[in-house]
Amino acid sequence: MLAIMKREFKAYFSSPTGFVFMGFFLLLTGFFFVMSNVLHASPDYNAVLGSITFIFLIVVPVLTMRLISEESKQKTDQLLLTSPLSLTKMVLGKYFAAVSVFLITLLVTALYPVMLSFFGSVAVWEILGGYIGFFLLGSSFIAVGLFVSSLTDNQVIAAIVTFVSLLFMWLIDWIQQGIPVDRVSGIVFTVLLAIGAAFFVYFATRTIIVSIAVFAVGSGVVTGMYFLNPIVFDGIIVRVLDWFSLLARYRDFAMGVLSISPIVYYVTFCAIFVFLTIRVIEKRRWS
Amino acid sequence: MIQVEKLTKKYGQHIATKNLNFTVNKGEVLGFLGPNGAGKSTTMNIITGYISATEGTVMIDGYDVLEKPEEVKKRIGYLPEFPPLYTEMTVKEYLDFVSDIKKVSKAQKNKDMEKIMDLIKIADVRKRLIKNLSKGYKQRVGFAQALIGNPPVLVLDEPTIGLDPKQIIEIRNLIKDLGKEHTIILSSHILPEVSAVCERVIIINKGEIVASGTPDSLSKHLNNSSRLSLRVAGPEESVIKVLNNIPGVKLAEYNGIKEMDTVDVLVEGDKDVDIRKPLFFALSRAQYPILQMKSMDLTLEEIFLQLTTKEREVS
Repeated sequence: MLAIMKREFKAYFSSPTGFVFMGFFLLLTGFFFVMSNVLHASPDYNAVLGSITFIFLIVVPVLTMRLISEESKQKTDQLLLTSPLSLTKMVLGKYFAAVSVFLITLLVTALYPVMLSFFGSVAVWEILGGYIGFFLLGSSFIAVGLFVSSLTDNQVIAAIVTFVSLLFMWLIDWIQQGIPVDRVSGIVFTVLLAIGAAFFVYFATRTIIVSIAVFAVGSGVVTGMYFLNPIVFDGIIVRVLDWFSLLARYRDFAMGVLSISPIVYYVTFCAIFVFLTIRVIEKRRWS
Repeated sequence: MIQVEKLTKKYGQHIATKNLNFTVNKGEVLGFLGPNGAGKSTTMNIITGYISATEGTVMIDGYDVLEKPEEVKKRIGYLPEFPPLYTEMTVKEYLDFVSDIKKVSKAQKNKDMEKIMDLIKIADVRKRLIKNLSKGYKQRVGFAQALIGNPPVLVLDEPTIGLDPKQIIEIRNLIKDLGKEHTIILSSHILPEVSAVCERVIIINKGEIVASGTPDSLSKHLNNSSRLSLRVAGPEESVIKVLNNIPGVKLAEYNGIKEMDTVDVLVEGDKDVDIRKPLFFALSRAQYPILQMKSMDLTLEEIFLQLTTKEREVS
């Protein structure tokens, strides 16, 4: 795993990607720092971190687009997959390489609050919390990017799809406000989910019987719930979308609240996407 | 060492390999021969564990590729059709990286690295970026990568592609040398290569084995008569008449005129009968001197064509 991570890390800096990511990220962080802290003589550094979450959406695809897609395009995955290295270690090595580039970049920005501290009192714990939150948020973004990169061998497509997915997650809070919360739309939504799952199973396995079974089980559960406990369907769409709202969890950190549940949430989120990546690569070998 | 049983691979409706069965003994060099798209690379990818078979099993040294992938992969060095190179690395960096993922110990690595680079003759480019190397060098770096960790089994998918004739001979000799200690499967569509290097050949077409054996036995097996090509100075009709009267000659055929006042004839003799001497005497008695006599034993090329085209007619 260490070997993969080392190689991947070096690859970032033997091509422009690592520099583009770091340069762009640091430039904009610097810009926001000057605008909100230096020019306004404000010690509120977390405002800067809050502003750059959106910038981060744009630069994460740069970091993740080539992770897996390039391997399959250049056929170098043949080397990795026929070596005695397990697939999990390979994917984790790549993931940690991207995360470490991100972490190093983030550590460079830590200079700003240190500078601030010379000229006044800064809320140390709040900023530390903000950094931990930002790191977890970023790691989750990278996990999504890693997953998307495993779906295609075209880097441009990987970058665009990653950006759109992250943008969607970023916008979820706004989307939620305009979504119906009544029972009927909840039922329609869950049935659509069951149909979606059936289609997914069909495209994954190409067996109609299993797909129909999945749909039958799904709609069976919906019907059962309707008679047993119809309250479940009230506002279910909002609650499902909430699972993907990475930013909602980040706000706690920005206020300096360090609680265990958002940390668990982020770590689980990353783990799920890394796991999905492994499954996608594994599945490609079978088809 | 390598046992392949009932190997079938389907891509959706398309069948890439169909019910392949073969074994490779320890220390054997097996040639895998077939036209493009016959399923050579697919079979190799399955043996090395890069992709999974739809049905059937592959055993390497007693380990099943699906159940004990790491044990199997430890024992195989694989050179795929396109050498899997990280082009932004130098040759040395790349080989170091391969040693790391193959879990070669540091001491072993230091010992092997120079040996392999000398053997493959890439020591002079060790500090260069792989992307700046020529096709032949890239191919050789790919070959070096397969040798790292000294695996007992080597799977080489068209190892001499992109090399110049001198390098091809070098690599062939290298494979022959390696064959003394390693079990090797090698694929190719260049026939002289297979007959020069391999002890046994499997000819595969449309995912099925159509013939297997030593290069010699394959050639004998399909040769059920001896054929000669003659150039005789004399008029066409009388030459053929003389030839057809010789006992042991099955058929004499007119084969065009390539030189003034001569005729080219194809003569087919009965199996296991040497018709060359009676032919000589008969023609000299008739005052038609033989200018050229060539044996037309089937070459691997012809066997290959015969097998693969026959297959096509059936389907």
